[in-house]
Amino acid sequence: MKTSIKASLKTGLLAAACTMAGTLALTAQEAAFDNPGPEAYANALEGRRVVLIPMTMGFDLAQGWNYFIGEEVRQFGGIWETRDPNWSVDAGAQAITDLIASADKPDVIIVQSPDLNSYSRLYRRAQEAGIFVIQLDNPSNYASDVFAGSNWQTLGELETQAVIDHCGEDSSKKIGVIQGDQVNSSSVDQWAGVQAVLERNPGWTVAGTGDSNWDPTTARNVAATILQQNPDICGIVDFWDATAQGTAAAVRDAGLQDQVFIATTGSGETIDCKLLENGTFGAVVMSELPRQSQDTVAAIKLLLQSGAAPGDASMYLYTAERARTAADLTPTTCWDQAAIEARAAD
Amino acid sequence: MTTTQRLRPRATQEGIVLLMALLLFAGFTVTLDGFLSAANLLNIVRSVSVLGVLAAGMAIVVIGRGIDLSMISIMVVTVAIQLQVMHGGWSTGAAMALAVAIALGLGAMNGYMVAYAGVSALFATLASGAFIFGFVRSQILRQDSITLPDDATTLLALGSARVLGLPLDVLAFAFVVVLGWAALRWTRQGRFLYLMGDNFQAARTTGIPVRPLIVVSFMASAVLAWAAGLTSAISLQSVNTRIVNSTLLYDVILVVVIGGIGLSGGKGGMRNVVVGAFLIGVLLNGMTILNLPNIHQNLIRSVILLAAIILDGQLNPRDEQTSQQGDI
Amino acid sequence: MTLAERLTRLRYNRVPDHLLGEILAKNWTDNLVPFAFLIVVVATFGTLLPGFFSTASVIDTTRQLGEFLIVVIGLTVVIIGGGIDLSVGSIFALSAFSTLMTIYVGGASPGVALAAALGSGALFGAFNGFLVGYLRLRAFLTTLVTLIIGRSLYDILITTWGTRLQSSPIFNDSFDAIGMNSVAGLPISAWIAVAFTILAHLMMSRSRMGWHFTAVGGARRSAYNVGIDVRRAVFLTYVISGVSSGLAGYLFAARLSGVGPGTGWGLELSALTAAVVGGNSLGGGRGSIPKGLMGALAVLLTTNGLIRMGAGTGTSQMVVGLMLAAAIILDVRWLKNRHKVLSEVYVAPLHHAMQPAVSAQPGSGTSYALNDALASAEPIALGTVEGPEDVILDADDNLYAGTRHGEIVRWFAPDYTRSEVFSHIGGFPLGLAMDRAGQIVTCVGAMGLYGVSKAGEVTELATETRRSLLSVVDDARLRDPNDCDIGPDGRIWFTDSTTRYDAHDWALDSIESRPTGRLLVHDPKTGKTRTVLKKLRYANGVCLSHDGQSLLIAESWACTVHRYWIAGPKEGQLETVIRDMPGYPDNINRASDGTYWMAWLGMRTPSFDLALRHPAMRRRMTRNLPQDEWLFPNINTGGVVKFDDTGRIIATMGDLGGAAHPMVTSIREHKGWLYIGGILNNRIGRIRLPGADPDWTSWESYWGARP
Repeated sequence: MKTSIKASLKTGLLAAACTMAGTLALTAQEAAFDNPGPEAYANALEGRRVVLIPMTMGFDLAQGWNYFIGEEVRQFGGIWETRDPNWSVDAGAQAITDLIASADKPDVIIVQSPDLNSYSRLYRRAQEAGIFVIQLDNPSNYASDVFAGSNWQTLGELETQAVIDHCGEDSSKKIGVIQGDQVNSSSVDQWAGVQAVLERNPGWTVAGTGDSNWDPTTARNVAATILQQNPDICGIVDFWDATAQGTAAAVRDAGLQDQVFIATTGSGETIDCKLLENGTFGAVVMSELPRQSQDTVAAIKLLLQSGAAPGDASMYLYTAERARTAADLTPTTCWDQAAIEARAAD
Repeated sequence: MTTTQRLRPRATQEGIVLLMALLLFAGFTVTLDGFLSAANLLNIVRSVSVLGVLAAGMAIVVIGRGIDLSMISIMVVTVAIQLQVMHGGWSTGAAMALAVAIALGLGAMNGYMVAYAGVSALFATLASGAFIFGFVRSQILRQDSITLPDDATTLLALGSARVLGLPLDVLAFAFVVVLGWAALRWTRQGRFLYLMGDNFQAARTTGIPVRPLIVVSFMASAVLAWAAGLTSAISLQSVNTRIVNSTLLYDVILVVVIGGIGLSGGKGGMRNVVVGAFLIGVLLNGMTILNLPNIHQNLIRSVILLAAIILDGQLNPRDEQTSQQGDI
Repeated sequence: MTLAERLTRLRYNRVPDHLLGEILAKNWTDNLVPFAFLIVVVATFGTLLPGFFSTASVIDTTRQLGEFLIVVIGLTVVIIGGGIDLSVGSIFALSAFSTLMTIYVGGASPGVALAAALGSGALFGAFNGFLVGYLRLRAFLTTLVTLIIGRSLYDILITTWGTRLQSSPIFNDSFDAIGMNSVAGLPISAWIAVAFTILAHLMMSRSRMGWHFTAVGGARRSAYNVGIDVRRAVFLTYVISGVSSGLAGYLFAARLSGVGPGTGWGLELSALTAAVVGGNSLGGGRGSIPKGLMGALAVLLTTNGLIRMGAGTGTSQMVVGLMLAAAIILDVRWLKNRHKVLSEVYVAPLHHAMQPAVSAQPGSGTSYALNDALASAEPIALGTVEGPEDVILDADDNLYAGTRHGEIVRWFAPDYTRSEVFSHIGGFPLGLAMDRAGQIVTCVGAMGLYGVSKAGEVTELATETRRSLLSVVDDARLRDPNDCDIGPDGRIWFTDSTTRYDAHDWALDSIESRPTGRLLVHDPKTGKTRTVLKKLRYANGVCLSHDGQSLLIAESWACTVHRYWIAGPKEGQLETVIRDMPGYPDNINRASDGTYWMAWLGMRTPSFDLALRHPAMRRRMTRNLPQDEWLFPNINTGGVVKFDDTGRIIATMGDLGGAAHPMVTSIREHKGWLYIGGILNNRIGRIRLPGADPDWTSWESYWGARP
């Protein structure tokens, strides 16, 4: 039920975006008519400043956002900037604080929250200063103007379901889980998702779990120990594709490639497709970066044209996601960071 | 030496840590199923192999009364560059040669700052670590994570190769320990390193080329950092530069120190590295089998380390008359 | 004088070259490197970033700076005390957590929360302090482990309580105000940081505790041996660091009113970088709070500026790493070479044209012509005394002289073969005088003016005077007190030869030939000391005239004797009595026939006179040549001169062979004998004065016949 509301909300927004695009197309053809659309669109968006503050610029998600969102913002005549806290919560806080205080305030900031709480007050201050706040991919306990991205619990559910679907009822019904750190919501929520699915599937148990601390080497060591203690495990849920490569190494070392199914999450960059293709990963729940970015772009356009003030409403744009396996890969399933960089360099 | 002294050897940090590790080992053997299995023992060794190689490099510098805080940066940077140029079409051999050359260069830079510019090792490597990583990450690398190229068949094959059932990283650790032990024990430079660490002024007065020796020790630690990074990258088929922000560096120092290689230099050897790594390995493995969350593991591990340090402090106390200024 | 020489004179006597050396000699120049760094950082980002100096930007910077600065200051205190505290980031996070718990779960007031934050900081600091101070574990390693302990504790707490904290219904306006509001344009946290910084600076620079910290950090063993409770001092530095991190954590919590797993992560590295970029030496003993302040500013402005410029991943580390490396290398080079640079630039010679002197050649027939009279002086204490700069005799004819060992030695009349240490002073006693009560007054080199009672008890009379307004060197200090004499009213007149060199570097003063000597007067009644005359070229001997109305003052490097009126119609006037002597005058004392004796410490030479007119040559000489190849005043031949109140030379005596009295620094007539002292001599000499009053004593000449 909850999901369907989200879906309909999202569909609504997308529809709005599409309508607008359609209007544009019409305008081009029937120039004789005095269509207020293009002018209103340009007036509302041109010269608007949008700043992206991810947790770091140094990983695939941020690079993708920078490309997909940035491209459109520049297209409508906006000013696109990024800040790079390089995994430091404090540096990110400084960046937001400086943006709020700066003379030429941005109109929209897009922030990937590092945790539930740290930036909450800054979001409120930004809104009070007249800046729209879009939270991207990571939730916080503050409801800003828009949240766009994944529901981490859904991700966890999809991963676990993928493992169960693959293993089937005839298997050992034992799975392993490589969590992140049991501190951040991206880790905690996925774990909740795992638990939710296990509740719906009686008989399935978590045979062993451990924390990767977001480090592939640790993931490998933890996975090796779990596999050694429970050699009959049929699948492992790993909360991040970067650490899942460590988990996969442990599986490889144990010679269990054919038995153990690895499900993880990823941005849907080419590497995910490649690892699916060569069988390293069994399933990847992709955060559908291009579509997630498109949601964000739509949110920017709507917010800036709505005439509403920051903080008037709070909306959620959850991206539809599903677990992808080698079977449903197409050449366009993944986006390619190298190609993006090549195009950006042109 | 009298008989009583021989019967009651002085409790050293190494001895204490070894005892603790053995007690833990016995405890886990009794309480945990499958702990003593051959596969799990291999897991224990394997989980600390990369750490052990890094600790061996650190040990060499520490014995010469230095410290190398830039090891993780050098490890990440050299391997990342190696993989990046391989993506760019370099052959495996050429890329490896480049990475080793860079590691040697960075080690020489550290050594130069310490030996010739007279900067304390702590600061020199703190600064160079931040600079090396920052420079390479911002100017050369595009993202945090770099994968092993598909066409790097040699490296990929190494990842799955087994000698006597042992994987590459365990072999690398063993090789480094044996090589390091031999170098410290049997070469002139190795003996000089102890002398220099024990009493720098005396070593210098005796005519030992202390400055080149410092440079060489930093170059050794840099090359071992690269070796640790490469074994890790081969095993994981990728390298993640974000590891610079982790506690890995602290773990390396702790392995060295709880193994009994004093930071004041001149003491210890590869055996201490093995003992330190053994304790950490047993601890990590046991706690993972117990499904303890990482945060609780960290707490338990650090409290045990603190206990080891306090015990050492009680058994080998320092006092105001003998402690040196600047000896922290 | 030729035009070229005039230009030289203009160049060397008008351009204040000496200031460079004097500034470099200051302790605060230690801060120059970090200060230059700060300026470069501010200038760079001020140019690169528009609006860097705008009010809003500065206010937000100060808000963040507040927290960081407080942490850095705590760490600086530990570093000065010879330790290191890597656990600051964990303490910071734990304190921020306890603050929020107290307010949002406990529902308490901000005051209680502050107590909780400071309390948890102090507790953690005390834990560190106990381990490092009392159990004497290694600081680096121990705090490394407590860093991890604190971090894992924090992670467990935040996981357990995070949800409660985030879903708390409590709003606390006064707590929010601490984080958000400003007073007089500055954020509250900045005011707190300013107050904290000042307090810390006063503590480190003005309090016993701070001095103990510095002593312990500088030399732990010596601190222990002088009785400082080393363990307690070390313990306290960690408590202070803990409290600082606690306060910073509180302000952080107030600013963001939220904590996450990343709070305070990596703070130890940036704080350490800041402390070191500021110029605090790791290992202790050398550092200050202002250095911590400058380092914190430089590092925070850099990282902040780079974030605002949108710099890519790693850039910040690169720049900070480079900054750290540059700061450390510069600091190391500075420490190593400061002394060298200083000795190179400190000597700043003047152009000084001496007028031709009357010849002192033996047999030249001039009044200055030296004879060999001193060669036959009867030696006293030969080989057992070192450096009797001045000699004096008491009513019982006992002989006193200061020695290089920091003592005043007494030789007993009549044959002066027995001796005893009359008084131990600790510094080198130079000029001596005896007051009405028979107390000896002495100028002690590098220390000041001291009195020694008849029983040998030492009292400090004067060690400082009022500082000149525009002097860079601290001229309140008496650097080179040389000779003294006592007026009829009991006031003690004494000279301080130079303000630029210590006594043992007198040769450098002669090479520089810069007039910095002074005449001072100390009034025992009020205990006050004031400077009377300045700008004397090595003010040396001083002697009250027979009528008690004026003082005769020897100006050594000018080869001149002045008269300064201290009473009568000419009071306060200075006139020159003798000029252009062939020798360098030293002490002056009264003679029995109403005239005066003057010692010559050395003789002028044409070569040195010529050198004085070539300041560039002398500067090159001091920079490029080893000291034993320098041109010095000739001190291998000295002499004794007798002159009257008009400045007429009555007699000159010398030791042409130089075996007994090559250099004469003092003479004292007593009952028909002339006693001769020399600061580099191994004896006191005496010669009988034919025709002199055999009953005349100096004391009676000053204070009248004994009752």
